[in-house]
Parts: sequence; structure tokens; C-alpha cells
Amino acid sequence: MVLVLALGDLHIPHRAADLPAKFKSMLVPGKIQHIICTGNLCIKEVRDYLRTLCPDLHVTQGEYDEDTRYPETKTLTIGQFKLGICHGHQVMPWGDLDSLAMLQRQLDVDILVTGHTHQFTAYKHEGGVVINPGSATGAHSSVTYDVNPSFVLMDIDGLRVVVYVYELIDGEVKVDKIDFKKSTAPPSH
Amino acid sequence: MKKVPDWLNSSLWSSVASPSDRISPYDSKSTTAAAPHPATEPPAPVLPPSVVREEPPEPEPVSPSNDRGDDEKVRPERPSAEDISRQSLLLAELSKKVINIGELRRITSQGLPDGSGIRSAVWKLLLGYLPPDRGLWLSELAKKRLQYQNFKTELLMNPSEITRKMDKSTVSGNDEMKSTSGELSRSDLTGGEHPLSLGETSVWNKFFQETEIIEQIDRDVKRTHPDMHFFSGDSLDAKANQEALKTVLTIFAKLNPGIRYVQGMNEILAPLYYVFRNDPNEGYAASAEADSFFCFVELLSGFRDNFCKQLDNSVVGIRSTITRLSEMLKQHDEELWRHLEITTKVNPQFYAFRWITLLLTQEFNFADSLHIWDALLSDPEGPQETVLRVCCAMLILVRRRLLAGDFTSNLRLLQNYPSTNIAHLLYVANKLRSTP
Repeated sequence: MVLVLALGDLHIPHRAADLPAKFKSMLVPGKIQHIICTGNLCIKEVRDYLRTLCPDLHVTQGEYDEDTRYPETKTLTIGQFKLGICHGHQVMPWGDLDSLAMLQRQLDVDILVTGHTHQFTAYKHEGGVVINPGSATGAHSSVTYDVNPSFVLMDIDGLRVVVYVYELIDGEVKVDKIDFKKSTAPPSH
Repeated sequence: MKKVPDWLNSSLWSSVASPSDRISPYDSKSTTAAAPHPATEPPAPVLPPSVVREEPPEPEPVSPSNDRGDDEKVRPERPSAEDISRQSLLLAELSKKVINIGELRRITSQGLPDGSGIRSAVWKLLLGYLPPDRGLWLSELAKKRLQYQNFKTELLMNPSEITRKMDKSTVSGNDEMKSTSGELSRSDLTGGEHPLSLGETSVWNKFFQETEIIEQIDRDVKRTHPDMHFFSGDSLDAKANQEALKTVLTIFAKLNPGIRYVQGMNEILAPLYYVFRNDPNEGYAASAEADSFFCFVELLSGFRDNFCKQLDNSVVGIRSTITRLSEMLKQHDEELWRHLEITTKVNPQFYAFRWITLLLTQEFNFADSLHIWDALLSDPEGPQETVLRVCCAMLILVRRRLLAGDFTSNLRLLQNYPSTNIAHLLYVANKLRSTP
């Protein structure tokens, strides 16, 4: 039972001042084992804050991040799953499933986490699953207006992943989930 | 000022391992005018009825054979005639169809022989885990062990597993990753449960709250008896034993939200588990974890209040119990009481807290504490009452050193109580029963 927080596109301080208070009250240290951040924090104070929640933090480069030393992509293995991270502004057309699927095959991961569109999505294709946690602060993007703040918490338990989706809609936190299993045979490309 | 009872001044109360000042005859230094009484019984002995009690013979009686267990000095095995007759009495009683618990208590109060494997069965009987009727043993044990197994299955599930079970009752859309492409469907939460839930009844919230307790249990278990191979070290056995202790304490904490886990419970559990695990009967030894869980619950039930902080200052709390010890000392040895508490200001809370709450497991070597527990568990007054008398006896036995000492030396002595002859100690403790 490993809890992995996935979030990104906070755009602090340029487009948002902070995470929503209701999110912050839920995100307490000691519960989460890993944090995956798609990028566009944008300042190091945000990185420091995330580190207080969990020391194992993985960040990829967003186009507005002030720190330019984050990698473009990153992969890590958690339990039975290989995860890949990429901000997504590099993948054209933005948010296009087929293009992202190509990236996923390149990285050879089961779950690809990307951002940039500020819109939560979760897709499945033969190569695996692509998840976009949206913008944790609800910052506007060039692609999407009217953004609801959202983030994702994955519970990786053996061959099963439960993806909990946290969204702030009209001031209330709504949570639902997506359940999927990985078959024991490796996915064919 | 009440005189020290004459029998206390007898040279009998010098112990084997003590330095010379205790062995020197009290008589010549006695402040009382009474003539020295070598080995006479005190006026009104309150011994359990029909006991043919021999006099404790020489100042250096032979101690019963040591546990062939782990550490400690290897003492030569010289079971006295007393021990052998006691052992045969015990075996006779234990082989009866219906065991007379009162009789068992009587024999056990004089101590159980080590190395005979009897202790495991006797303690279980004394704690009411095994019924007196031997015919019921098999079924009772099976029932209890199954119950413990169920506790483990139920309570040790992590929240992922719990929510998965909750899911099974409702139809879950468990998408296989390799099937058709497309958007993954979002479904409602089962029972509103999610990992970041702060709800009071949330299984996730409870899990994270309990994580702290489990970490504390883990730390304490690793520190239990670090000098014994049974409990500590890298051997597979030690690790397995530690796991067992941890599981018992965790299950107890989960079943008792009012008291959870308090530091020290590990020390109460350790002797029980040790004794049961060393049962010569392999089947019993294998179920030591389950058996010690129930016996631990039973033993703790008598003095749970000691572990409850809120009750510290109440009538049933630990402070009041310590006060009773103080009163007992005053009653039996006012000179010592006055010197200790008034003159040298050694507040009993400085030493007696650990003595009482941990049932003297920290004050003597492991083998000796098992003997003390024989007396504590067999006494009809119960462990909590009996331990007070033993504590009082402990003070009286070192009275000369205490009377000669100041705050520092007295405190040091009492917090590092010297090794002593347990049979003596228990004999003195027995004498302290309240006389009409």
C-alpha cells in the first residue's frame, strides 16, 4: 500500500497565490510516500513546501519553472508499476492522447503522468494509462479556462492502483476514484 | 515510635549476594532492648492454612535450579528436597481431572521449580485462561486460538484491503489495463473513504492515527530485554519473538481504544510470552502468541488504571497505590519510613512507580522475576495487592543500608535494587499480610 501524490501546474506566484486552503488542510506530512510533480511550480518555495509533505519528491521541467535544472522526463518504479513524468508542453498537439501514448512507449512505463493542460484526464490505451492531475491551484492556462483545482492520489497496492481524484468544485472538495489492475504479463507494444 | 518487630532483626534476613554490612548480626547493633531471637516464628504468623512450612534454614539457602535459558550466571543445579516435593505435589495436582485452583495457588505461592515446564500450564490456570476441568482444555484452547486468529485477520488489514473488501459487495468497475482504449471511468467512493480523509470514522484516518502507536510499540519491543537472546539480536527466533510481541500489543491497542498502548506494557507481556513459548509441549509453544494475548489481557485487567494517565491522581490511580505502599511501610517499620520519606526525602514515586507498574520485572534478573511472578499470580489477593507487600519487603530487607544512607545513596540503591534471595524476599512479603 503505497500512496503517491501527483500534482502540478501550480503557477505560484504568477497565476495563483497558494494551494486552496481545503487542499492544504488535507495534505499533511506522514501519509504520502512519494510525490510526482509535473512541473510549473514555479518557485522553489513550492518545492520546499512539497518536501515537507514527503521527502521523496520528483519534479519535471515546466516551461515557467524558475529553476531550470529539472529533467524533461523522469521515470521511477513503485512496487509493481513503472511511472513516467513529463510536463507535457513538449508533446504536440498538447493533450493529444496518441502523441502522449507515443511518449509513454518511449519511456516504457505503465502509468504516464503529464500536465500542462490544467485539465484532469485519465485515459487508457494499449501501452498503459495516462493521467493528468490538472492544476492544483486552479491556475488558468492558455488551453483551458475555468479551471477547477485538482490533484491525484494513487494508492498502489500490488498489481492494483486506485486513483483518487480530488477536485475543488464550488468551494467543496469532491473526491472520486478510478480503479485499475495491471495484468501480470508485460504490455505488448 | 513503633518498634521494629523482633523477627525483622534476625540474622536470617541477610541475603547471599549482599555486602558485609547486612550480614553482620543485627543483635549487637539492635537499638531495641529485646533479647535477640534467632529463628523463632513471629507471634501471629498469617500463613496460608495447613502449610507445613519448614524454617528457612541457614543464611544461605540453596536457590532452586536456574532456568537453562539465556544469560545470567550459571548456578549449579541443586534442587532442595523442598523443591522436589513441591514439584511432585504440583504434578499430582495438575494431573487430576479437575484441578483445585485453591490448592494450586497454595503450592505455587512457594515458587515453581524451573526447567520442569510446569510454569506454563500453572500460569494459564492461575490466570483463568485454562479452566480447572482438564477435559475442557482442548476445546477452550481451540476456541481462544481461533478467536485470536480472527482478530489478526480483521484488525491487521490495511485500509487498501479494507476498502477493497467493501468494494466487493458493490459492483466495481475494475478496468483491466489491456482492454479497450479510452477514457477511464470515474466511480464514486466506497463509503466516502479516501486516503486523505480526516473523518473520525474513516478507516484511513484511523490507520494513520494508529501508525504512531504501532511505531511506539515497535520501538519498545526492540528494547525489551536487550540482554536476552530470546528477545534480542539478529537470530531468526528473536525476530519471530519480537514480531509476536508486537502483534499482541498491536491487537490489544486496537481492541482497547480507551487505553491503547502505554510504555511498559511490553514488559508485562514479555514474561508471559517467554514462559509460554518455552513450554515443552510443542503444540502449546507454537500457540504462545495467542495464549499470551489472552493472559496479558487478564493480567492487565487488574491494574489497567495504573496505565491511564487521567486516573493518576484518582483513588484508583498509581499515585494512590504508591501512597498505600508508603502507609504499609509506616505500619510495619515506622523508623525506616520516617528516615526514608521524611528525613532523606526519598519520595516513593521515585522508585516505586516502576516497581509497581511493571510488577518488578525491571528490578531483578529475568529468572528471579519469574519466581516473583509465581507468587504474584498465585496469591489470592491478586498481583496488584501482592506486589505492594513485596515492595515493602524489598525496602525492609535493605533497611540497614537505607537507614545509613542519604537521599542520593538511598535513591541509587532503590533504583538499582541489589540482587537478593527471592525465597527470603517472598517469605518476608508473606509476613506482611495485614493481621487483624
